[in-house]
Amino acid sequence: MAAPVTRLTIRGVIARKWRIFLTILAVVSGVAFVSGAFVLTDSVKKSINDVFATLSEGIDIEVRTSIAFGDEATAERDPVSVDVIDVVAAIDGVRLAEGNLLRAATVIKSDGEPLRTSGPAFGIAWVGPDGLDGRTIVEGRPAAGPSEVTLDKSSARRAGYEVGDTVTIVGPAGKGDFVLVGLNGTGKTTNGGGASIAAFDPVTANEFLGAENMVDSIYVAIDEGADRDAVMAAIDAALPDGLEVITGEQSAEETAGAINDIIDIFGNVLLGFAAVSLFVSAFLIFNTFAIIVSQRLRELALLRAVGASARQIRTMIIGEALVVSVIATLLGILAGMGVAKGIVAIFNAAGAAFPSASLIVSPRTVIASTVVGVGVTVAAAIVPALRAARIPPVAAMRPELGFNSLQKNKRLVVGSITTGIGLVLFSIGVFGQPGGTSGTLGLSAVGAILLFLGIASLSTTVAAPASRVISRVLPLPFRPMTRSVPGRLGSRNAQRTPRRTASTASALMIGLALVSTVSVVASSVQASFKEQLQGSVTADFFVSNGPGNFQGLPVAFSERLSELPELSAVSPFRAATAQVNGDTKQIGAVRGSAFGQLVDIDLTSGSVESLDDGKILLHRDPARDYAVQVGDTLSILWLNGTEQQIEVGGIYDDATIAGNWLVGLSTLQAVSTATPTDFFIGAKIADGVDIEDARAAVEEVALDFPSAEVQDQAEFQQSQEDQLNQLLIIIYGLLIISIAIAVLGIANTMALSVFERTREFGLLRAVGMSKRDLKRSIRWEAVIVAVFGASLGIIVGIPLGLAVTTALPSTFITTTVVPVNTIIVILIASIIVGVVAAMPARRAARLNVLDAISTH
Amino acid sequence: MTSLSTAAAGAIDAFKIYGKDDSEVRALDGVTVTFASGKFTAIMGPSGSGKSTLMHCLAGLDSLTSGSITIGDTNLATLNDKELTLTRRSNVGFIFQAYNLIPTLTALENITLPLDLGGTPVDQQWLDTVVDAVGLRSRLNHRPSELSGGQQQRVAVARALASKPRIIFADEPTGNLDSRMGTEILTFMRHAVTDLGQTIVMVTHDPVAASYADRVIFLADGKIVDELDNPTADQVLDRMKRLGS
Ligand SMILES: Nc1ncnc2c1ncn2[C@@H]1O[C@H](COP(=O)(O)OP(=O)(O)O)[C@@H](O)[C@H]1O
Ligand SMILES: [Mg+2]
Repeated sequence: MAAPVTRLTIRGVIARKWRIFLTILAVVSGVAFVSGAFVLTDSVKKSINDVFATLSEGIDIEVRTSIAFGDEATAERDPVSVDVIDVVAAIDGVRLAEGNLLRAATVIKSDGEPLRTSGPAFGIAWVGPDGLDGRTIVEGRPAAGPSEVTLDKSSARRAGYEVGDTVTIVGPAGKGDFVLVGLNGTGKTTNGGGASIAAFDPVTANEFLGAENMVDSIYVAIDEGADRDAVMAAIDAALPDGLEVITGEQSAEETAGAINDIIDIFGNVLLGFAAVSLFVSAFLIFNTFAIIVSQRLRELALLRAVGASARQIRTMIIGEALVVSVIATLLGILAGMGVAKGIVAIFNAAGAAFPSASLIVSPRTVIASTVVGVGVTVAAAIVPALRAARIPPVAAMRPELGFNSLQKNKRLVVGSITTGIGLVLFSIGVFGQPGGTSGTLGLSAVGAILLFLGIASLSTTVAAPASRVISRVLPLPFRPMTRSVPGRLGSRNAQRTPRRTASTASALMIGLALVSTVSVVASSVQASFKEQLQGSVTADFFVSNGPGNFQGLPVAFSERLSELPELSAVSPFRAATAQVNGDTKQIGAVRGSAFGQLVDIDLTSGSVESLDDGKILLHRDPARDYAVQVGDTLSILWLNGTEQQIEVGGIYDDATIAGNWLVGLSTLQAVSTATPTDFFIGAKIADGVDIEDARAAVEEVALDFPSAEVQDQAEFQQSQEDQLNQLLIIIYGLLIISIAIAVLGIANTMALSVFERTREFGLLRAVGMSKRDLKRSIRWEAVIVAVFGASLGIIVGIPLGLAVTTALPSTFITTTVVPVNTIIVILIASIIVGVVAAMPARRAARLNVLDAISTH
Repeated sequence: MTSLSTAAAGAIDAFKIYGKDDSEVRALDGVTVTFASGKFTAIMGPSGSGKSTLMHCLAGLDSLTSGSITIGDTNLATLNDKELTLTRRSNVGFIFQAYNLIPTLTALENITLPLDLGGTPVDQQWLDTVVDAVGLRSRLNHRPSELSGGQQQRVAVARALASKPRIIFADEPTGNLDSRMGTEILTFMRHAVTDLGQTIVMVTHDPVAASYADRVIFLADGKIVDELDNPTADQVLDRMKRLGS
């Protein structure tokens, strides 16, 4: 039974291989993102985990301070006193105990510029290869004494140093010159996974890294044959309060896990790309199969006539989709490996130095890619397959009886209902925001999908009149087109199969609706952000670490700036994690006496100076949520377990820079011994000092902190906006991909319908139409379809964007902007899209006239 | 009344009405007819007289407005789409005027298609008989696009015969062929009835083609207006002229 259907299916695919080529391409691109996301995350994670596993191979046990709440892996822990090392070393079964110390330290390259890394820049204490840290020496020897250092080999090479050179390094406490006595490797690799690592002997490290006889944690190795659990228990019993004991494996896992989370973000962005491109591809697939089915009307009817059941026809069409999808999925998985390799290469070119990983294609990757690739393709082919199965056998002789397709009225009803449900779900998702972020995203995504499907179905009804209008309005600048025969033909052809025009345009509609939505939201956020920044920044200078550097500035920087007579007010901005009445929050710490002159937070009650008296300031939203006013107290639990009752010293309206919670620097310093770093430093010029002089003074201090970047007000605002723009570039990139697929879709439909009209074109050529005119008519048709899709997209996208803007909290959005320029660009781009998409179809014009009319 | 048990197919009071009210067309206007097993019947009539409609309804490709169609002992009106499909597959064979073959299948695969669709094993001996009879032995592995029009029609005839259906319907099977090829096909159809015991109903407007039949039925305006047994071409032409005037 299956045999003839299988045969028909496979022959069907082969016979139409060129017609389904673009479809395969579309599926491939979607699947490539899925598999690329998984291959990338799996491979990079594996290589990073390997690095950490190598590093911690010799570590059986780790001792560190415990935290009161929150994420074990990323918590900023208080350090441990070096005295504890001796306590641990004295315990039975402990073979070796050593301090683990790691602080920010930047290598200055041989040309005097700081070495930029994609990962962090660290200085560490290292006892050498005999110790517990799994680093190796690939050249030279370990550092010993106050003037020696070793660097990881890849950083040394990038910085232009060789063993024997003198290296300048900037640590938390200042600058130092060291002789490079050796190069480090990690396991098989010679780099630190994008980080730069300078290793000193423990005494030098303690001094230079400003550790003040503290270490981050203690690594322990046990005697051969000792019972680890027993040793751990013994250590635990001997430790002072506030310290904890974990296994080496757990420690490595946590460290790697924190990095893995970051890698997962990359993966999720790629999966987002995948989702959008697959959704758009689904329309392309649907279209291809719908067109192929209608082109095969007689063949399918003949099959029905000679005894194929409706089910066999259905199976055959779905089988064709299955074959297409399997081919596309396989190619997609391969392409995904290319995507992963490409991304690693791009990052490495930017200095990431990912450990050279072999690509890992896990079973999960194959399964997910297959489910997605096959699922989407087959799902999109279901409706055409059902339609094919409804072809009456009599159509074999009377093709005009072909399709009794969905009635116009019925389609209107179904389309309206789908659109309605989509709108309702989207609104609930955006405005009601049930179930937090995932609920909001999920509901509005499902809503948007339904909305798009509904509009796609409704657009069939308006496709013909809209095409007519577009063909009248569009050529106004080049009037002669409408009157010409090619112009008329192109326009009539766009109107002739409204269903095809509509579903072809739909793919473009979705891409452009997303672009419109995002650009409304983005321009509004941007405009609002700019407005807020302008209203709130009063500092003359901002100092922060360069872009992409999340490590923060050493506190010494702000201390030295405070001493400058050219500046009247200086405050760092530091951050800490704490629980407020049981909820985990990020809390900023600033100097109360200065902050008020640097940032205008629109204080509505209390005073900024009260921060220095150990009070807390908060934004009006949390003030409302916690129902507190100035004078009330809040219970704050710090990460290290210290609990405080803190009085509210003020409430403010503008959280753009300050965030929702502020405490004084003194409050944070009193409670935590963790090494502080500053996000940024704000400074105000003293009265009567020239801005150039002030800047020169600040820049002079900055020479000792090479990673720091000094910005004036305008530069600071620009850099903040640039950061926002970078995010937008990712989003626009995502949308460009969906539009590219939509272009494929239009090209595909045009090529298919041209194929279908071979005889018609032959006739036109026979009665004297020139090749040029024929091409023009095809191009014109494609342009009309593209402009139709773009218009729909804009009409749908802008209200969605406005809805999202309205739903965003007022702290985010203060002005709403409809980006007219973007919309004009979209419309012009869609004309180009049409012209480009018509290219493959233009082959038709090259047909030999006789061949064309004799084709069956 | 002996015909009932030996009837391959028949229509009783068949009406097929297209459109409504003013634009109503009675394509079949009360047709009652039986087709005896083992006979070759031709249906003739002017263009638009309802020949194709009658044939489509008889073959279960289309349904009547009222009346009934039987194939063998089965009343088609009682069947659902699935049962109709099975009936077409095993009891009915078709030869159309054109576009008879699936372009992606070889000649042999086209011939055995109805059998394959039903999962029925191919009767190799019968298949050989049919293939040799239509003289296609050397062309079996060719695609339709590699065959001439006449060869394509022969493949269609072979396909119609392959499943040994109760009845074969042919709608102007020679309409697209030159007279030499037409003769070839008609000779073979005659042979299939006489020597292989098949039943064939053929729509045609060619008196010469009709003369190959055992019996000719004349249709006009959806009604049977005349019939003729063992016709010659001249007799048929004569009747047609009378009907036309
Ligand atoms: N689907 C249809 N809709 C409306 N009228 C039809 C349809 N099919 C056939 N007819 C009409 O029915 C009549 C009989 O047609 P047909 O059976 O094709 O005639 P013949 O095959 O004898 O030329 C003609 O008048 C034709 O116009
Ligand atoms: Mg006819």
